[in-house]
Amino acid sequence: MDVINGVTLKNMLLVAARNLNQQKDTVNALNVFPVPDGDTGTNMSLTLNAAVKELERAENGEIGRLTTLLARGSLMGARGNSGVILSQFFRGFSEGLSKVKGDATGEDIARAFMEASKTTYRAVMKPVEGTMLTVTRLAAEAANEAAEEGADAAGVIKAALLGAQESLADTPNILPVLKEAGVVDAGGQGLVCIFEGFWAGLTTSPEEMEEILAEQQTPQVDTADLARLGEEVLVNKYCTEFIILGEGIDPDLIRQEFDSKGDSMIVVGDESVTKVHIHTDHPGQVLQFCGELGNLTEIAIDNMMLQNQEFASHNDHHRLDYAVDNVVGFPQTASTNGEPKSVGVVAVVAGEGLAEIFRSLGVDHVVTGGQTMNPSTADLVEAVNSINADSVIILPNNKNVIFSAQQVKELVDKEIGVVSTRSAPQGISALMYFLHDGSLEENVTAMEDSLGEVKTGEVTYAVRSTVAGDLQIEERDIIGLAEGKIAIVGANPDAVATDLVRTMVDQDSSVISIYYGADQNAEDAKELASTLQEGYPDCEVEVYFGGQPLYYYIVSVE
Amino acid sequence: MMGRIHVVTDSGSDLSLKVREDWAIHIVPLTVQFGSEIFRDGEEISTAEFYRRLQTESEIPSTCQPSPADFVAMYEKIAEPGDTIISVHISSKMSGTYQSAVLASTMLDASIQVKVVDSKSASMGLGLVAVRAAEGVRAGKNLDEILLDMQHVIDDLQVYFVVDTLEFLKKNGRIGMASALLGTMLSIKPILTVVNGEVAPLEKVRGKTKALKRVREFILGFQAKHPDKQIRASMSHATTKEEADQVVEALSLMLPGEGDVLLGEIGPTIGVHTGPGVVALFLYSI
Repeated sequence: MDVINGVTLKNMLLVAARNLNQQKDTVNALNVFPVPDGDTGTNMSLTLNAAVKELERAENGEIGRLTTLLARGSLMGARGNSGVILSQFFRGFSEGLSKVKGDATGEDIARAFMEASKTTYRAVMKPVEGTMLTVTRLAAEAANEAAEEGADAAGVIKAALLGAQESLADTPNILPVLKEAGVVDAGGQGLVCIFEGFWAGLTTSPEEMEEILAEQQTPQVDTADLARLGEEVLVNKYCTEFIILGEGIDPDLIRQEFDSKGDSMIVVGDESVTKVHIHTDHPGQVLQFCGELGNLTEIAIDNMMLQNQEFASHNDHHRLDYAVDNVVGFPQTASTNGEPKSVGVVAVVAGEGLAEIFRSLGVDHVVTGGQTMNPSTADLVEAVNSINADSVIILPNNKNVIFSAQQVKELVDKEIGVVSTRSAPQGISALMYFLHDGSLEENVTAMEDSLGEVKTGEVTYAVRSTVAGDLQIEERDIIGLAEGKIAIVGANPDAVATDLVRTMVDQDSSVISIYYGADQNAEDAKELASTLQEGYPDCEVEVYFGGQPLYYYIVSVE
Repeated sequence: MMGRIHVVTDSGSDLSLKVREDWAIHIVPLTVQFGSEIFRDGEEISTAEFYRRLQTESEIPSTCQPSPADFVAMYEKIAEPGDTIISVHISSKMSGTYQSAVLASTMLDASIQVKVVDSKSASMGLGLVAVRAAEGVRAGKNLDEILLDMQHVIDDLQVYFVVDTLEFLKKNGRIGMASALLGTMLSIKPILTVVNGEVAPLEKVRGKTKALKRVREFILGFQAKHPDKQIRASMSHATTKEEADQVVEALSLMLPGEGDVLLGEIGPTIGVHTGPGVVALFLYSI
């Protein structure tokens, strides 16, 4: 196929959506953490479905019109971190095609892939290689290369698919957490599913398309995703590079020494010269150690975090303009309710008990979700618009919702503050500092400052066997996570909770709160509370019905 | 020749008997009512008995301001013609006591001058203002100087108090702006303050330990704001002796060389509104 017209583009997207939908469980299974809420596939699938649904509004088959709808649909439908990144991919893809008059050539498609990849990188504060970002980049490079060699539209898409597949297979070699868990990157896998769909969509017969259209409906979903990789991996912000001059330096010695102190490490050398590259938070330690092995030269240390932030802030303007241009037509003000107030609060909470607690603390609108189902950006936009206030604070209460919450800023007329709460206890802690008569800025600052005051523990079960540090975990084992990291493995939720709390309490602790889940009975929870009260007589132990799914207990220590 | 100056306050000051005697401060009691039983605070019901009944009886008691006649009786008892009375009372936004005293002041013989002062505070906040007045009397200051000293305390006073529950403030309608803290499902310890004579919320904190820790931080903040000044502190409480001693000890350590921390037990007049378990701190600088 030499060029692609609007009809073909639509077919590609429809087939991609179906393919991802069919494969989403496979993608879900790739989550690094064995917790039951890691559903990258579900999030990406729902995001793409929302985009495809938007395409129905296309009155004609013009590529320009389709891409505008694609960008908007995926932006509004974005769920979870992977969904937000995917929506940015489509945004860039659409921008790449925005100048196309008539049909898209191989060059146009390659440009779309390039633009898509760039947009995803820009959207992430700290881009991590070995994730779906890398997959978009290598796919785009392959597409570009093919186009330069004169490939037609189909050839470019084929090249992008092959590039993506190859890059996906390589992700465990780039990201150690993937290798440790024995998986490829889930978001990258989701992208490959989409590109497979693109390729198949080129040759799908009209009859088959009819079938796809008929079955295309909102899929049933029970759980969603917490995609936990990303931030954890790129804490090491200084890119440190240098050369050691010296005879007989053993690269393995350096590798071993810094294996735990950084990432993205490369140590290569010959008899007399060794080159070291590492991302670390402790460049001084690295230099000192290596300085003892030989003479250091060509030392370069860059703060990657600042570089990325600079990049991101440059980009804000661009994003805003884009949003204004493209989101006209979305209902900005749904029905607003309640007394007018200066600052409203939206919280994302799973579990009716926790929802009730958040409401009692003054939250105007509770959006259900988080651990089971990440709310879409559109859900959050709707919640924000339903509040009769010019400024609204969003408490995501889940690390996989923070990114979507930040997208809301671009999509509403109100002033939005996102407090990066990663758990319900952090949300509760933040609300302690909410003042009705404070400004948005004052409140956000005070609430952000409070986040360190509370430690969160979660007790759930492992969805698959894995190894986490020293812990051997079997499927269905009960696991306890402290601040998002697996700390305890056991057979019984109450015992795991008790052990977990032990790792969290210190001499400054004064309150232990237990929020018990939907399937946990009150008696067990009270029993747990009295065990903890005996163990920690100086603390106040409180027990509440949280009603959250999948998590037997959420505990907090402050 | 100049007459004497007397200091009168009410039972909402929570001044201990010893302080009252040391500084010759006279108290007009409010009354506390359990059902049909009426007691004069401090005279007909002890603090211990009051809290026992507060926690065991289902009905919430109420307080009643002294009548103007009660004030007239006190004023006439202590003052001779030519004397002056400084009558300082619990915040007029919290009680009608001030109004009652103002009314009484107009009912007296013109030979006795009464200056009625709104402390805009309660408990030891009021107590500190009354003690400041008595200090002026003892130092031989004239009325205007004493009133100026008192006004400084009223303006500078910082109040931080932690209640176990907002229930009592709510039931008695004394909650003011702190009503925003109501209705939460978690057992939150609100840190409250007094602004313009009214109870106002300062912060919400989970757990009393943390609340007291925050109060200590507020004290350090107050100290930092007044680096060159002496800080007078007072604490009143309706809690266990151990807890009160702990707080006083912490306070003495934080404010070394600032003189004794004036300690008071929250009596029925204030206790009706705040309930058991309260810890309250009052600070001002001179």
